[in-house]
Amino acid sequence: MLHAAVVRSPHAHARVRALDLSRAREAPGVRAVLAPGDCDALDETAEFEGRAVVAVAAETFGQARAAAELVEVEWEELEPLLDPEEAVRRGSLVGEPRRYERGGYERGLAEADAVVEAEYRTQTLNHNPLETHQCVCEWRGDGLDVYISTQYIWGVRDDVAAAFGLPPDKVRVICEYMGGGFGAKNGAGGYVTLAAELARRSGRPVRLALTRREENVGGGNRNATIQRVTAAAKADGTLTALGGEFICSLGWGGWLASTAGPMQLLHACENVRTVEYGAKLNLPAMAAFRAPGFVEGTWALECLLDKLAAELGLDPLELRRRNYANVDTMDGRPYSAKELLECYRRAEPHWERRHEVRARSDATWKRGVGLASQIWYGGGGPPSYAWVRVGSDGRANVVTAMQDIGTGTRTAMAQIAAEELGIRLERVQVQVGDSSRGPFASISGGSSTLPSMGPAVRAAAADAARQILEIAEQRFEREDGTLSLRGGEIVSPDGTTWPLEEITGLLEDGQILGKGARGPNPAGMRVLTFGVQVAEVAVDVETGEVVVERIYAVHDVGRVINPLGARSQIEGGIIQAMGHTFSEARLDDPHRGTVLTKTLDAYKLPTIADVPEIVCELIDKPDAQLTNLGSKGLGEPPIIPTAAAIANAIRDATGADVTSLPITREEILAALREARERERVGAPSA
Amino acid sequence: MRLTVNGEQHELEAPFGRSLAEALRDDLGLTGTKVSCGEGHCGACTVLVDGAPHLSCITLVHTVDDRAVTTIEGLRDHPLVDAFVRCDALQCGFCTPGQIVSASALVEANPSPSSDEIRHAMAGNLCRCGTYPRIEEAIRTWRD
Amino acid sequence: MGALGNGTRGLAGGTDLVPLLRDGLVAADRLVDLRRVIPSGIDGTAIGAGTTLAELEADPQIPDALREACRLAASPQLRNMGTIGGNLLQATRCWYWRLNYPCRLHGGDVCHAREGQHREHAIFANDYCASAHPSDVAAALLALDATVETTRAAGPLAGLYRLPDDHDRNLVDLGADELITRIHYERPEQSVYLKAMDRKRWAFALVGVAAARYDDGVRLGLAGVAPIPWRLASLDDLEQATPLPGTAYKLELARALGRRAIAAVGG
Repeated sequence: MLHAAVVRSPHAHARVRALDLSRAREAPGVRAVLAPGDCDALDETAEFEGRAVVAVAAETFGQARAAAELVEVEWEELEPLLDPEEAVRRGSLVGEPRRYERGGYERGLAEADAVVEAEYRTQTLNHNPLETHQCVCEWRGDGLDVYISTQYIWGVRDDVAAAFGLPPDKVRVICEYMGGGFGAKNGAGGYVTLAAELARRSGRPVRLALTRREENVGGGNRNATIQRVTAAAKADGTLTALGGEFICSLGWGGWLASTAGPMQLLHACENVRTVEYGAKLNLPAMAAFRAPGFVEGTWALECLLDKLAAELGLDPLELRRRNYANVDTMDGRPYSAKELLECYRRAEPHWERRHEVRARSDATWKRGVGLASQIWYGGGGPPSYAWVRVGSDGRANVVTAMQDIGTGTRTAMAQIAAEELGIRLERVQVQVGDSSRGPFASISGGSSTLPSMGPAVRAAAADAARQILEIAEQRFEREDGTLSLRGGEIVSPDGTTWPLEEITGLLEDGQILGKGARGPNPAGMRVLTFGVQVAEVAVDVETGEVVVERIYAVHDVGRVINPLGARSQIEGGIIQAMGHTFSEARLDDPHRGTVLTKTLDAYKLPTIADVPEIVCELIDKPDAQLTNLGSKGLGEPPIIPTAAAIANAIRDATGADVTSLPITREEILAALREARERERVGAPSA
Repeated sequence: MRLTVNGEQHELEAPFGRSLAEALRDDLGLTGTKVSCGEGHCGACTVLVDGAPHLSCITLVHTVDDRAVTTIEGLRDHPLVDAFVRCDALQCGFCTPGQIVSASALVEANPSPSSDEIRHAMAGNLCRCGTYPRIEEAIRTWRD
Repeated sequence: MGALGNGTRGLAGGTDLVPLLRDGLVAADRLVDLRRVIPSGIDGTAIGAGTTLAELEADPQIPDALREACRLAASPQLRNMGTIGGNLLQATRCWYWRLNYPCRLHGGDVCHAREGQHREHAIFANDYCASAHPSDVAAALLALDATVETTRAAGPLAGLYRLPDDHDRNLVDLGADELITRIHYERPEQSVYLKAMDRKRWAFALVGVAAARYDDGVRLGLAGVAPIPWRLASLDDLEQATPLPGTAYKLELARALGRRAIAAVGG
């Protein structure tokens, strides 16, 4: 196997003036070199740092790296566009601005007793899965095998097939296990094209793995935002208007995630006006990152709502209850199921703790409690397929070409098949991760894996069960549809039971093959996920240190399949949100547009020492309208409300209004200073 | 040079500057040790050197020729492995070998570590999936 | 940890040197393993330069300021590997320097941080180069009035460091073949180290303040505030700081931590 290294633009905006590959081609161990013109993934113009220019494959990674360093590139540096507001002014946008309006926004403002406005900002965040983007490409005849760390093997298949003009099934994509994606690994990306082309030219398998530094530049990111938002309400708390301008720093590509989504969907409000801009900048392009848009938008919306509650003198939880949406806020469709009110009810005792928490404040450490609610998609959908194979030993094999990205998909699918077949979990095996060895399966993104795949697996298991029972009914001379599978046995209503193997054993080498497909989502209904989080914080008002002491999370995602895995998803989402809230930020040089936080000492992921006590609760009520399973996805919901809940707790504790993420020492010290100033100025009238 | 890994002695030729992680993975085929950042910041490559957690990606292999190296492969039967599974202390699993290696040194020195002690001893092993509460539980209950 | 002349470098823990060699920020054509050469271990108030931070963290004889500085430094694995001598000689975390921008410390004529991203940078002596010295241990040892013994001489720790200028971009005043062998500190009546960082663990100091009380008063040493470990005669000296727009908060942090540290040692 050969190893590849890539020469990339060190500049945010530049053109190749001259390129000399002669020394690189002659370097020890080099077997293939690609330059612009050889492959679409290489370019002589760099519109962002990290743009690939040359790729080298050599016998070892060290040789590839050394050869890459021998590539001589003469760059002509060009002026980079880095300011998102300037980009909007100049019309440098990815796509068109997205405008949304319902009701009469101006009228809503005029009717209000209170109007609050604020500007919130969020930072650029890197996914930083511990396994960087990587693949091994190997040609076999006219077909290509791609071993890859991905969230979507079928997407990779289609992307790579398109890049090489191959029939899709000539590309086989394999991902048995993978080391984290969080949205960054939803497609193939140029690096796979490079590896495949190097493999084609060298006639050898080629491994291309991004280094951590490459990952932190070009691995994708959650785009930064500037959100200017307004909320207006009557004295009783009824929202009369919500509005916002959202500027999203997408970089040189990507897509405009719905940052205005929470404002449009979360609370009932007749009059809403939003506009979103995707600023096209000389920076690496964004990629989906765990609830893209909604994480950023909920931060602003839910902080703003607490500001409004303070202005109105209303309890923040009560304000949310008073604006509870009973039907979809955008088009009036009924929800397939919505247990947000139940989430509020269960959050109540945790919210009540605020009196006791505040009372534990002293001169230095101020304590407080804040909450924020959450809305997100997560209903999944078709197409998705699964096969269930039952052998003569009565064991089942679930076969589907999905991938387990670490969320416990294998376990959940085994549980679903075991339940439907009435057999023990240990008797079910799950085979995933190979596009040529199973039917099409959905992407592991958008909290869609379980709600998309689970019903397909259940249908396949039900199909297998039906076939087994048909045989049993013939053999035991029972009427059609009278037998069932339970506890590893075939059960008759009269109490007679037969071991499952008594029927499957007849098969010898034969097998029962069940097929299942994911049906459509309920027509005319809105399928969404909901939740609330309550944060308790302590703030050292002299040093700006914030300790999040406890987070209570309650989420409504329909039926829970694996409570252990579900808790892990909630905790994982909250912990990632802790990083987003306090320590993580990609920092770029403000003049050059180059990334400075390329390493994991500078880009600070949370450690085990940063984790608060996390108390998880799930409503666990099946969505009766949604599929044969009643389950929605839980990968994304828990990361959405955390930052706002924490910021609201900080305000509760100290009066300080933090408006920018991350909440660094400088951010909180400045907010505390402003709060003291407000208090000083406001004191005489109070 | 000679390298003692998991109690076994190996002879290998290593060029100047070769890291312990490279020697383990590429020369000895012990790929349980993961390289995630490659520069000493994340802990994925943690192995024990004379019983203490070290970062194999920034340890030059020539500096450990007289010392005992333990990798995740040498801890296959450690009760921590079952504890991690029981507590769901891994999601993607990429950081897990390093986590278990660090945890094994902790419980060796301190079989009943407190929450603070666990957090102090494990702070050099990053987990992007956020399994930390489960890791803490696995270490707290490793003998159960 | 330290140069030995003729392209040879001495290697102890290697936690800083190995990455720097790989990144081409330090050159060497030969490495000498120093761990059998330099003393290690603790003997009263003398600490062998090869003693690891983990050993210091665990030793109850070590004054609180130094123990805590070790405890809060880096990560457990790095503390197992890194030596106190190497810690004193570690390079700055300035991202521009680490990413090899042609800055003043690399022989260039500009400090990129001053006009660029500098929230982790210096508030003192930052005119020529705004990098911040990351050593928690050095801050503690400054407060503990430490002297450094090398293969050539012995002198106050403060003398190990120098501010860079056009003639000499080095931050350390150590001969090409000179090695740190021992560190001696003065046992204080009481001492403490307080550190503000972006995470609860495993982050370099935004500001670290060490305080140690002696008969004649309290001594203060700071990390993360100047290109070299920084000694303050008193908190009043913080008024001499020249923070950059993005580092003004560090002054506030230094004041708060300084007041606390002094109070903690009964000063």
